[in-house]
Amino acid sequence: MDRRSFLRTSAVLTSGLAALAASLSPLFEMQDFPTAEKFLQKYYKEMTPDDMAKVVKRIENEVERQYGMRPHVRDLKPMDGVEFVYCLNLTRCIGCRKCVHACVKENNQSRNPEIQYIRVLKMPHGSMDMEKGEHNYAPESVPEKGFFYMPVQCQQCKNPPCVKVCPVHATWQETDGITVIDYDWCIGCRYCEAACPYWARRFNFTKPEIPKDKLNPEMAYLGNRPRRQGVMEKCHFCIQRTRAGKYPACLEVCPVGARKFGNILDPNSEVSYILRTKRVFIQLKEELGTSPRFFYYFDV
Amino acid sequence: MITAVRNYLVFLRRCARIAFVGDWRYYTWIGVLFAVCLIGLNAYAKQFAHGLVVTGMSDEVSWGVYIANFTFLVGVAAAAVMMVIPVYIYDNEELHDLVIFGELLAVAAILMCLAFVTVDLGRPDRFWHLIPGIGQFNFPASMLSWDVIVLNGYLVLNVHICGYLLYCRYRGRKPSKWFYIPFVFIAIVWAISIHTVTAFLYVGLGGRPFWNSAIVGPRFLASAFTAGPALIILAMQVVRRVTAAAPESSSALHNGEHSEEHHFSSRPATSEDLAILARHLPELASVPLQVRESILEGAVVLEAEAGDVFLRQGETDNRAFFILAGRVVVKREESGRFRVTRSVGPGEQFGETSALAGTPRAASAMAEEQATVLRLPADSVRKLMKTPRLDKVIRARMSERLMITDRGLMVLRSIVQVSMLINVFLLLNEVFKEFYTRTSHVASAQYLFLGLHGHHALVPWIWTAIAFNLTAMFLLVLPLSRSLKWLNVTCVLCILGIWIEKGMGLVIPGFIPTPLGAMVEYSPSLNETLVCLGIWAFGLLCYTLFLRMSVPILQGRLSKANEPTTKPRQPSAILHAVTAR
Repeated sequence: MDRRSFLRTSAVLTSGLAALAASLSPLFEMQDFPTAEKFLQKYYKEMTPDDMAKVVKRIENEVERQYGMRPHVRDLKPMDGVEFVYCLNLTRCIGCRKCVHACVKENNQSRNPEIQYIRVLKMPHGSMDMEKGEHNYAPESVPEKGFFYMPVQCQQCKNPPCVKVCPVHATWQETDGITVIDYDWCIGCRYCEAACPYWARRFNFTKPEIPKDKLNPEMAYLGNRPRRQGVMEKCHFCIQRTRAGKYPACLEVCPVGARKFGNILDPNSEVSYILRTKRVFIQLKEELGTSPRFFYYFDV
Repeated sequence: MITAVRNYLVFLRRCARIAFVGDWRYYTWIGVLFAVCLIGLNAYAKQFAHGLVVTGMSDEVSWGVYIANFTFLVGVAAAAVMMVIPVYIYDNEELHDLVIFGELLAVAAILMCLAFVTVDLGRPDRFWHLIPGIGQFNFPASMLSWDVIVLNGYLVLNVHICGYLLYCRYRGRKPSKWFYIPFVFIAIVWAISIHTVTAFLYVGLGGRPFWNSAIVGPRFLASAFTAGPALIILAMQVVRRVTAAAPESSSALHNGEHSEEHHFSSRPATSEDLAILARHLPELASVPLQVRESILEGAVVLEAEAGDVFLRQGETDNRAFFILAGRVVVKREESGRFRVTRSVGPGEQFGETSALAGTPRAASAMAEEQATVLRLPADSVRKLMKTPRLDKVIRARMSERLMITDRGLMVLRSIVQVSMLINVFLLLNEVFKEFYTRTSHVASAQYLFLGLHGHHALVPWIWTAIAFNLTAMFLLVLPLSRSLKWLNVTCVLCILGIWIEKGMGLVIPGFIPTPLGAMVEYSPSLNETLVCLGIWAFGLLCYTLFLRMSVPILQGRLSKANEPTTKPRQPSAILHAVTAR
């Protein structure tokens, strides 16, 4: 190779590489570049208790660093002989959306951009056609005459389409009926979001933002621990509460007692009683064969 | 073994070198593509840092142009099979080289597909969770896991088939059928599978009635077999144009129609000449001495200067030629331009196909440099070919030429024609089912075609697509589209029409309204568009480089025979060897 062509080739190469480096410069704006430890973290079901203890510790440290508050992260397991079921009384619901905001608070959902697990539809009297529902109603006061209100959240299906389509098993159904997500395993393909017939899943399109003083420190690994950018999340029946013997936050806040929650395997539970005695209850989109564990009923 | 690896590495090195050699137009083209790639990469780096919030997607419309382009390109990749079937199963000569270009297009398309799904991921750093054995692979339940398998498998299959055939051509060997025919058959089934699986990604979602329709799979195939070959028709004409010399530079082929052979000094051949030929064509030694002597009768040795013409396209005579020294270039006139279809050196033959078949010459042959050539009557060649070993070599070389004939393009046209008719028919089926029954499931289709609740972002798009498709369909049915000019217009209409219909027209309305009935529209953001442009530029860049490497191999300009023996030649010498016309 002669001198001139050498110089020319190296000039082309150098400028090409410089342009390449320049085009990649936005990567410096990245806040949480995955560390080797996070990158190689194991799948939830493959972690030993030791692995889990280490990961939990790391998460606690991270949260403390970021929010200035030491959280209490637990890996709560499903209880034997428990299958959770939710019942919602459509006659009572007044559409106040208190459940929506209690859920956001309890589950450390991003405030900016806003992520909410519960969507309340304002439905015209007499119709269950959700296309007629209004999502963004904002009257002076609720309820309004001629309408009923239908809150929709993850229906915790027995045949969950989201679990079937996930290419990496990042979401699965636990023995107590809750479909959970390993936030550290999800690749963010959003196939589950397309598959869900109830529009129950939410994606972190960017890094979630929670004000420091609004963080709920009582956390579960598969539940309300802070999520990262680029992963899915959804209602998990407040796993950090319900697996510790408490009611979900949406139920506790409901001012009219429209929400009932309990163990369907226990014949004496409230939900067993409702499903046994009500003449009509509704599983949304029953025809899809998803078999939700979320039942809508009426005071008749 | 070691020499085999070494040979292969030399092949790869020479291919890689040639990819970066060209004239200023080539460098400009490559430079522009590279620049657009970088713009796309820059946009992607922003997305990587800040998340998918920089796109137009939302929880309501959670897939956008990335997945739309992915879907379209899977179709393009699958369509390569339509070239394969006529060639390998029906032995269609006209499409022979188009197959390799088609498969290379498939490779480029699959690379783009993989890029499009990767940029769509929220956590691309976790790609390894998808690797079977290392990650958690939800196979066979998730259609996405099927897609991972079929796309990567298809990539490997096509790389193998193209790579093997090109390497054989480079080595001047006849490809062993065992090494590629089984893979060709697998690839045919596989091509159908990649597109069916991609359709099933959508079809399998019961919560999305717009997609949950059995006709989506067949529609995908029909539209793929329309857009894919249409793209190849255009690409092949570009290749033909770029590899062609301007008419005036080949004036020697036009002048002196009646003065043939007058420049040559010719003399009767001797056994000495056959010995020279045997040095370059060792298989000649296997011909019995008696036969060798008998063919000397009527054999003539021609001494040619550079530019002398041995035979002209369109003429008919029954003589074949073997080169003793120098190089001869074979050029074919296609649509008023001359294109090198073959470049042959010592020991190789030309003019044998038409001589043996008694058909008019398919191309003209002229000396590229000072050359000595042995001319034999067809009967003598037949005698030689009675020896199996020589027969095999001669036959293998007979198929070594780069042909992009108008007839080949017309075969593709008929594929596009039939597929477009089926595509429009299937679309009508879908439209009938949706709008005649008018169940609540019609909402998405209504949003797409007519607009719904005051939202109609996609309406102008889909009607443009329908207008394009219908116009293309009529043009394809009319004999008008047999002229290349109209065929090209038709192909552009097909590609654009199907890109809209299948991309924006299929993916986006599936999300609108949401399963809870909310109307949220989608339009791609600037950043998202730049990423898409970057990936398209990347695909075009790949395809350009693939063609840059494969065209000289198919022409015989890059081959084992002209491998530098001692030290590698200067790049400029390679440039000369490649671009010399």
